[in-house]
Amino acid sequence: MSSLEITNAHKNYGAVEVLKDICLDVSSGEFVVFVGPSGCGKSTLLRMIAGLEEISGGEIRLDGQVINDTDPARRGVAMVFQSYALYPHMTVAENMGFTLKLSRAPKREITEKVDQAARILQLEKLLDRKPGQLSGGQKQRVAIGRAIVREPKVFLFDEPLSNLDAELRIQMRAELALLHKRLGSTMIYVTHDQVEAMTLADKMVVMNGGVIQQVGRPLDLYDDPDNMFVAGFVGTPRMNFLEAEVAGLNAGTVEARLSGSDSGLRFAHGGAGLSVGQKVTLGIRPEHIALSDHGGSATFPLSIGFVEELGESTCVHGEIPGGARVTVLSHGARFADDRQVHTCFDPAKVLVFDQQGRRVRSG
Amino acid sequence: MSIALLPRMSRITPWSVAKWTLAICIAIVAAFPIWWMFNVVFADPGQPVSLNPRLYPTSFSSGISNIQRVLTETGYLRAYYVSVAYTILTIAGVLLVSSMAAFEFALFDFPGKRILFAVVMLSLMVPMAATLIPTYLLVARLGWLNTMQGLVLPGLASAFGLFMLTQFMKSIPREMLEAARLDGASHFQLYWHVALPLSRTALVTLAILTFMKTWGNFIWPLVVSQKPEMFTVSQVVSLFNSPLSHTTVDVVMTANLLAAVPPLIFFLIFQRRIVEGIASTGSKG
Amino acid sequence: MRLTKSLPNFMMLTPFMLLFGAFFLYPILSGFGYSFFDWDGIHEPAFVGLKNYEMILNARSSRIAATNLLTYVMITVPLGVSVAFGLALLVDHFQGFWARFFRSVYFVPVVMPLFLAATIWRWIYAPNFGVLNLILGWFGFENVRFLTDPDVMLYSLIGVDVWVSAGFNMVILLAGLKDIPRHYYEAARLDGANKLQEIRYVTLPMIRPVMIFVVTYSFISALQVFDIPWLLTGSSFLDYGGRRDALLFPVMDMMGRGFGRLGFGQAAAYGFLLTLVIVAITATIFAFQRKKENG
Ligand SMILES: Nc1ncnc2c1ncn2[C@@H]1O[C@H](COP(=O)(O)OP(=O)(O)OP(=O)(O)O)[C@@H](O)[C@H]1O
Ligand SMILES: [Mg+2]
Repeated sequence: MSSLEITNAHKNYGAVEVLKDICLDVSSGEFVVFVGPSGCGKSTLLRMIAGLEEISGGEIRLDGQVINDTDPARRGVAMVFQSYALYPHMTVAENMGFTLKLSRAPKREITEKVDQAARILQLEKLLDRKPGQLSGGQKQRVAIGRAIVREPKVFLFDEPLSNLDAELRIQMRAELALLHKRLGSTMIYVTHDQVEAMTLADKMVVMNGGVIQQVGRPLDLYDDPDNMFVAGFVGTPRMNFLEAEVAGLNAGTVEARLSGSDSGLRFAHGGAGLSVGQKVTLGIRPEHIALSDHGGSATFPLSIGFVEELGESTCVHGEIPGGARVTVLSHGARFADDRQVHTCFDPAKVLVFDQQGRRVRSG
Repeated sequence: MSIALLPRMSRITPWSVAKWTLAICIAIVAAFPIWWMFNVVFADPGQPVSLNPRLYPTSFSSGISNIQRVLTETGYLRAYYVSVAYTILTIAGVLLVSSMAAFEFALFDFPGKRILFAVVMLSLMVPMAATLIPTYLLVARLGWLNTMQGLVLPGLASAFGLFMLTQFMKSIPREMLEAARLDGASHFQLYWHVALPLSRTALVTLAILTFMKTWGNFIWPLVVSQKPEMFTVSQVVSLFNSPLSHTTVDVVMTANLLAAVPPLIFFLIFQRRIVEGIASTGSKG
Repeated sequence: MRLTKSLPNFMMLTPFMLLFGAFFLYPILSGFGYSFFDWDGIHEPAFVGLKNYEMILNARSSRIAATNLLTYVMITVPLGVSVAFGLALLVDHFQGFWARFFRSVYFVPVVMPLFLAATIWRWIYAPNFGVLNLILGWFGFENVRFLTDPDVMLYSLIGVDVWVSAGFNMVILLAGLKDIPRHYYEAARLDGANKLQEIRYVTLPMIRPVMIFVVTYSFISALQVFDIPWLLTGSSFLDYGGRRDALLFPVMDMMGRGFGRLGFGQAAAYGFLLTLVIVAITATIFAFQRKKENG
């Protein structure tokens, strides 16, 4: 049974529509990540689920109940904010117990629940401090603790790690994954960092311009994106996109000619939905291009523009004939700038997109 | 520490001598009248003031007896009660009423917000002279002359207080309120548990400024409290000083000194707050 | 729909708005109404049209009050602000403890309620045995009748006024000085500016907005001057303004007409006229300042 269902949800600010026709099912216990570029409406959607933002149209159900007009406090959701939003005048324990205090819970129960949450997050020693005396990571943990104390049906996180430094972010990421495993609750998490999304998500929701682009498991989105936006957004370095024209359709393979050059490329594709002469965009991930010193059939010469050496991998940026920029990710090899090398595209990994950016699937 | 407090001797220049001389002279001018008031109270009785400019206190006991006399033989003590009540009620009322309104203006949207706020802010431009007589007439018609409510209520809707607190509360992060809403806080609880505690510094500053204004208010008690039972300290002090009162200067100065004590104590305690409060309203206004 | 949703907001606003309506808006409007009536507060008010305004504008006392006010404002505002600015600069040239010390001492008079400032100075100004005359006597000066010589009284008032207000304005200006980024001074020094030029070309322009606030505020309070001259002259509702009306000011005149002669209609009209003048002057300062900023 779905624990959270969103059907045809809209959001308008005056005449501006910031969320269009959002449909999404979240199962109980799932870790769902909303990811997308800044301003795409992730926070707005999350805040609509929380009840902090009105819903202009459509329905949100939690455990079968429509919660569109339910007071945020009664929805059974808890939210962790990017800025932590801890009450500076209360101690850590008071922060975590505030919700119980408001609902007039007995003191014993408050202490018990706060202690329990503190144990989970290793906050026991900090209970009497004020937020001003905590580090960023500790504050974040208190904010999560405050959510845990509420025992919500759904945890909502709005970019909770973006105020932390890189190292702490990775550590907290792991802790969050553990926490999810331990509590088994439904969690919805917003980020614009796709690495964070890939590592945490059971289900990833890629959004752009107020529209859900694709929903799926992280690796499914990586391997089998629905459109150019998802293909480009998921994975670093970004997928290479090459303008091309279909030159020939054979059984199981398609031949294409790159725009602005005579070079041709042959790759695996059923040919469905393609016709000779059609303009398409080909997508190939940097890690699916091999580099070699020797040319051969099905290779392109690459003039190297610059090289980023990251240690375990090397990122080579250059141009192929026709002027298209290509990024290649290689492991181990060292390359000098301004050298001519040859690239070989893995024919099984080439994706085809039509003029509208929609994926043209193989079969 | 003590070395750091002394001006460094190695740097005596004509400029620094002039600077220190000027600073000290002005300090004397600023402080002398108050010092002198004190000396007159604590002076040997019977010596004509003209022979002795009273540059220092000479008799502690006669000062105490002056104070005793003023407190017991005149209506001073009663006026003190009235003034204290007037001041405390005004402070409490101003803080409560303007913080509630500031909470709404600073943090929420509702129909008519801009126009309401603009009207209140425009009132800052209107001098008290414009409202004094009609407010008096209203209070008289309500039958509130010589009552505490007549003294207090007209002063509670402080546009200045509203402005100051609104500016301050605007800096409360929206997420903090949202977190509290999710924690189950009602609208009033947001105000009480989140906005008010977070505005403590501004509230303290406003309380102090309201204290100074109310304790020193002369004109409003003058028109509203006409019966001796409702006289405030300001009126009693002005009676002591009136040409018709045949009291000696030491008694008059005792009355003055007693009126000066609360603000002076406040100043000693809250010096930094007062100075910073005034400075910040100046640079924001 | 939106109104019911905003109900909690309006409930929180109610206390303030009720008080504001009752003790600000209503008095303003009713005061404007009263200004067209002849009313002693006891008998039925009688409509008199513009007669109240006419009487005020033609009265000798209001002309004296206006002249006094003009002289007073023209002196006390520039003098008070200059002294305050000088004090701010002076305090700014001290550091640490001494800066705080002098700031506090200069601020002490501000803490005094106005009525106390007036009553203390009344004795300092006293003839023959007053401290000030005593000190002047040491230097061989004649006895000055600070509070009874009509040629001197206004200046005595200004003295008290500056004593009281300088610290207040100083604190605001000092905060303004502290807000000026240091590198402007460093740049000026590199350009070879001396101390005076620094004040002229860095301090004054940078402190302008604060200065304008101080000037405007001083204007508004000076135009409503009441407590100090009232008490310096030992006034009552029946006899106010001091010798030869030398310390008669509009608010005093208004109070006297209202409470002394029970002419509440006239007093209301007086208040309304005063408001017009004060708002006009404030608006002029703002407009002037706007124009200077744009031009
Ligand atoms: N109160 C508002 N009024 C008008 N437009 C708004 C309002 N709040 C948000 N928007 C718009 O809605 C869009 C979505 O905003 P939202 O905050 O959901 O983006 P986001 O995906 O969370 O971005 P980020 O990653 O930067 O947090 C943005 O284009 C924003 O400009
Ligand atoms: Mg966001």
